[in-house]
Amino acid sequence: MRIDQIHMADSGRLLSQLADRISYLIDIKGNSEYGNIGSLLGQIQRLRQSLFEIKESDLFEEIDRIEDRISFLEDRVAEKLSPAEIVNIVRSPQRFTLMDILENVYDSYTELGGEGECNIDPAIVVARATISRRVKNRLYSHQVMVIGHEKGQGEEYRNGGCARPWGNNKALKYMRVAETEGIPIHFYIFTPGSYPIEDYPGAAQQIARNLYVMAKLKVPMVSFISEGGSGGAEAIGASGLRLMGSRGYYSVISPEGAAAIEGKIREGEKLPRKLLEHCAAQLKITAEDNLRLGTIDRIIGEPPLGARRDDFPFFRRLRYEMLRATDELVLKTKNFRAFRAYALKRQAEEGKDVPEDFDLFIGWSLTDLERERLLEFRFKKYIELGKGYFIENKNILTQGIRKTKVFASKTYYDIRYGLLRPHHRNVQKVIEEVSGEGSVFLRKVTEPVRAAYDFVFPQPERPSKVIRSGEPERKSIFAEEWDPYVSPLANEDCTVTCPNAAKYGCLDLWVPDLYGEFCGVCPNCGHHFPLEYQWYLENLFDKNSVREFNAHIASCNPLGFQGYSARLQKDIKHTGRNSSIITFEAEVWGIRLVVAMLFSNFRGGTVGVAEGEKFVRACDVASTTRRPLLAYIHSTGGIRIHEGTLGVVQMPKCTFGVREYNDNGGLYIVVYDNNSYAGPVASFLGCSLYQFGIRSSRIGFAGPRVIRETTGQDVPTDYHSAKNALKRGHIQGIWDRREFKKNLYDALMTLGGPNLYYK
Amino acid sequence: MDINLNDLLRRYRSHPFEDYFVETPHTGVVFFKVKEGQTVKGPGGEWLHRPGTLLYVIERERNVKRMTALWSGQISGIRLDIEGQFVEAGEPLFSIRHQLDKEEIIDRILTQVLYIFSAPQRARYFLTPEISARMEKQFKQGVSVELGEDVLIMSLMKRDTMISYEGVPGSLYKVYFNSGDMVEQGSPLLGICSPDKLQYVQKVIHRIRTEWEK
Amino acid sequence: MGKERVLIANRGEIALRIIQACKDLGLDYVVLYTKEDEFSLHVRIAQQEESGFKKAYRIANYKDPNEIFSVADEAGCTSIHPGYGFFSENYVFARRATLRNRPLTFIGPNWEVIRDLGSKINTKRLAKGLKVPVIPGSDGPIYNELEAEEVAEELFFLQKEKGIHHPSILVKASAGGGGMGIEEVSHLDAFRRTYRRIQNYAKRQFGDEGVLIEQCLIDYQHLEVQLLCSSHGEVVHFGTRNCTIQSTGRQKRVEVAPGFDPAVCEYPFDARAVLDRIVKYSVRLAKHVGYDNIGTWEWIVSRDGSPYLMEVNARIQVENEISACISRLNGSNEPLSLIRDQIRVALGDRLGFSQKDISFEGTSIEMRIVAEDTKRGFAPWCGTITRFDYPDECWARLYSHVPRDIPYKIPTEYDPNFALAIIWGQDTQQAKERARQFQKGTVIEGKGAKDEDIVTNMDYLYDRIDDVLQF
Repeated sequence: MRIDQIHMADSGRLLSQLADRISYLIDIKGNSEYGNIGSLLGQIQRLRQSLFEIKESDLFEEIDRIEDRISFLEDRVAEKLSPAEIVNIVRSPQRFTLMDILENVYDSYTELGGEGECNIDPAIVVARATISRRVKNRLYSHQVMVIGHEKGQGEEYRNGGCARPWGNNKALKYMRVAETEGIPIHFYIFTPGSYPIEDYPGAAQQIARNLYVMAKLKVPMVSFISEGGSGGAEAIGASGLRLMGSRGYYSVISPEGAAAIEGKIREGEKLPRKLLEHCAAQLKITAEDNLRLGTIDRIIGEPPLGARRDDFPFFRRLRYEMLRATDELVLKTKNFRAFRAYALKRQAEEGKDVPEDFDLFIGWSLTDLERERLLEFRFKKYIELGKGYFIENKNILTQGIRKTKVFASKTYYDIRYGLLRPHHRNVQKVIEEVSGEGSVFLRKVTEPVRAAYDFVFPQPERPSKVIRSGEPERKSIFAEEWDPYVSPLANEDCTVTCPNAAKYGCLDLWVPDLYGEFCGVCPNCGHHFPLEYQWYLENLFDKNSVREFNAHIASCNPLGFQGYSARLQKDIKHTGRNSSIITFEAEVWGIRLVVAMLFSNFRGGTVGVAEGEKFVRACDVASTTRRPLLAYIHSTGGIRIHEGTLGVVQMPKCTFGVREYNDNGGLYIVVYDNNSYAGPVASFLGCSLYQFGIRSSRIGFAGPRVIRETTGQDVPTDYHSAKNALKRGHIQGIWDRREFKKNLYDALMTLGGPNLYYK
Repeated sequence: MDINLNDLLRRYRSHPFEDYFVETPHTGVVFFKVKEGQTVKGPGGEWLHRPGTLLYVIERERNVKRMTALWSGQISGIRLDIEGQFVEAGEPLFSIRHQLDKEEIIDRILTQVLYIFSAPQRARYFLTPEISARMEKQFKQGVSVELGEDVLIMSLMKRDTMISYEGVPGSLYKVYFNSGDMVEQGSPLLGICSPDKLQYVQKVIHRIRTEWEK
Repeated sequence: MGKERVLIANRGEIALRIIQACKDLGLDYVVLYTKEDEFSLHVRIAQQEESGFKKAYRIANYKDPNEIFSVADEAGCTSIHPGYGFFSENYVFARRATLRNRPLTFIGPNWEVIRDLGSKINTKRLAKGLKVPVIPGSDGPIYNELEAEEVAEELFFLQKEKGIHHPSILVKASAGGGGMGIEEVSHLDAFRRTYRRIQNYAKRQFGDEGVLIEQCLIDYQHLEVQLLCSSHGEVVHFGTRNCTIQSTGRQKRVEVAPGFDPAVCEYPFDARAVLDRIVKYSVRLAKHVGYDNIGTWEWIVSRDGSPYLMEVNARIQVENEISACISRLNGSNEPLSLIRDQIRVALGDRLGFSQKDISFEGTSIEMRIVAEDTKRGFAPWCGTITRFDYPDECWARLYSHVPRDIPYKIPTEYDPNFALAIIWGQDTQQAKERARQFQKGTVIEGKGAKDEDIVTNMDYLYDRIDDVLQF
């Protein structure tokens, strides 16, 4: 009797395990029709109900039969997993979460900054943990900071692993703690994306800040991706080594989002399954694809159908890989030979089982010099991302000339600023100290010295107060002094209604006035009508001062995304430009600066590999020529989804570029116009210390539709307005288009200091 | 000041409508987009950001303006004779018979309960910047107004005059005009509820809420 | 076709005078009106007149250019007369009229001239270049409080340097005009408050918060030079006017031509020479900018006899008639109409006469009859005029849009100006006497909303007649 009961209980457990496996398969397939799994589930249900009526042997026979069937189906499914199915694996409630990793990979851990629901953001878990290894039968443990998303096991409060802005802020805080303590950070990315709300510190702005800090965080960082949903993943993903589970996905956008855009599906309509599958495949989101594209460094093998919550061998492997990855980062900074030896050995071990023992213990603390090297390696790694996935001019000769030119100018500026500058400063200091005495005597003595010195180092040309007071003609309302550029929009004899007419009683505007003299601004309420980017090129910068560079760098179709090449060609033909960014040198009332301008006519101003590369090169030009850098965003729709994660990694890449430029002493100003959303704002734009918005512009992380679809809440029409962005502290000011040039000039003068450069 | 709430309610119940007359806002050529007797919807959404039903388009200086319904209701008296014609400003087009809902009934009845500050002259009125700033910040709690405080700017014959508040002090319960509107003399501008009356007002609201449904 | 049809984009007495001028010239005309003006005389005349086309159109707002162009096209107009106020000095409007696909002749100077002279700042700059004297003050509109204060401080300092005991400055809305949005500040401490008030006013009324600051000249005479130019480069003047008598807010109430009369007052300077100078300066500036229509050059003459150019009114003015009254063409007594000449030159005609054909005779006084309470800060009165009678004399003319046969409700939307009385006399003494006589014979009755009697400025005008041409 008792034995029977045990058997019965056992069979019950077996049955529920089988049921789990079936529902997992249903999860993967997205329906229960495949291989008639639905009916299997029904059979199990019946067996469960009639557990005590069936003869034991029959029962086990039946269970065996079902299990065979399930195993068969599992093998079949595993044989050819489609990308959409991988997405389903990742989203299955049976997949392991960060909590499982903390339990199984680390020896002990203490959660920081909240516990469970009692948390500033339960979607982000931070823990101080110890991870240990056995070397020759001795146990060594390391302290690490673990930061990651927790999707939870169905708990509402985990928000499905969507970090809120303050959650990412929490992550940043503990990254800094780790830096202070000098311990490595392990990131675990389990997020479908960031929660798209603008409340302070703001989804986009916070991600940007995280990236900006991670660019120069002086500890080894390793990240592991299970679910890498675009910007949300980057918020804690810009590490020295990026690992990825073999059944994880890493994508620029959810396949649903991509399908809605590609298929022009209206809100609320159902997405066709076919379209979804197609988009998931086109986006190249699997681990293999990402490794091939270079957006991740290594794949961690999972079982064919992905690791689940109780997959202990996988956790063992994960622990081993995390240790190894951290070792590598550390070794690389110490000694190249040791690293090589280590890497070779590791390579030999590739594909083998996880060894029980490590053959040596590697301490993870770094010296100052090693930290510098760590940052250098990280910078190099990110700056190189996406290389080869854009088109450069094939003409070798011109390329050679360009290279020589770049080298020559670099040398010139290096000498001018690199060698002379410190000396310059010293001389100046001495003179200031001497003349600081204020004595007439000394003045006489120093005067000739100063004169000679001024001759050697001509003061940077800067309009003095006298010239500035003669400025009225710049503000003049008279046409003679006006730039002859008039928007082609003005060539129509008709009127338009200001969108604020109902609120402010604006009269209809005559189009030639509006787009001519009024600069596209309603004179009554100040609403800014959109203007083409050429208007800014002509009116914002001094006449004939715009010198474009890198115009030859062109976007291409690195993923082979269907239909993208044709659309690219169309835009190239239509705009006469090769990418959605224009980088150029220009002058604003005599101040020379480097400008990167994203414009809307080319694929909605989205950022892909070519754009990222051009931006980074613009940072470099600004850095070598010691000029302020302006990012004028005519419009940007985010990261270009057709370039997949290659596009996503432009976020850290460009942010690293900006950070390097800023750390070299550069002044980086961002001005948003029209619509600026998503990836770029969440990285190289949002990280700027000085951001401004043109009136009537919209700035944000996700558009109203995405917000409605993810949060289920509608947002007011002015949710993303510049005014609200200012209220939330995302931008530092709102500029009127008519006074753009003046404001920019003033900003350059006040923020840039006397030398238009911080240092 | 007691009011006969029952009478009022009965009156509104027997005729719960308000007729709004739609006129052309300016000159232009008109094309109707609704039919006689059609039911139209007013603006919707949480912030009334979704425009109502398209009523007609009016074209002036090659600008085709889509005019949408500001109230829900039924179209009547549509002037089909002017379809496609040039019309002058203020030309009547049709009327919308709007069925009052509970909140609107409350609003109407409240005008008889609140202290009403009405327009001393036919003029354009603006809230003073201080008051509108306070309104924006703390409308929910109610903005209190003091005796002699400058609350309005009256723009009359191109001159601006400050109007200071006279009447019972209390909190601003309702503003009956849009800034810059032309308001007829004697029309209500502000509805003020004195602190001692607050309870009474809430009672009235509560009663209408419960009784209107019946 | 081929016949000019003038759209009169204005209201009140100027609309009536333009209608008259059009009739004199044999041109078709069309008027506009708003709901408030439905019973105004200009609308009635247009509606009652027999003609083969619709002559009066109801629009939403006189200030909406779209309405005006919309009606102009519908009514088949070929030109627009803006009158004074509204669009008369709006170069954006004039430009649109000129440059649109279906162009309309703008009866006024060409838009570039309006633009260049419409800005007091630019006028000042132009004048300085031509060595024409201007009032000391800010060179351009000021948007910044600190900057404004700096200018104010400097102006106070300069006046003290000059030995002026009670220095003061004027703060004006840069986009304003016609005496609106101007305040005087006699203490630097009070400046900031005033500045902010004017800035707010300017922002609300004109949509531009630029503010001008200049020295406030006290004890001065306000003079004007009436010019008429054609597009063929001809420039003639119709003498000078004196508009020193103004209500608070610098609204003109009594004007007189000529500018000075040495027969009635002993001026502390050579009056004739000053008049000659300002005429000469005005003509110089007009020629320089290529002025091609009617216009008024406004001057200030201080007690020491030095003139300062204030601004140019690139339009017909309310008080144009008094200049016409004292001017004689080839010695004839035929009444002149400057509005008629304005329309003629706008349509491309030559003047048909030159300066030597113009002579001057007598003195003319204009009184603006306004429903306002002169004892209470000239507060406008509104209500209904029930009776309006005035003597019929050959030396007096009265222009009003108030119908005399039916009660007329004064619209609250616009100025409470409702009549202009123009008196002519052989000399200043006679003109003054006639003005008083006219006033005595005028009866205005009306009732306000609370059944109170009408309040007008008649008594005030009567009192001020004594001040005419005194200094």
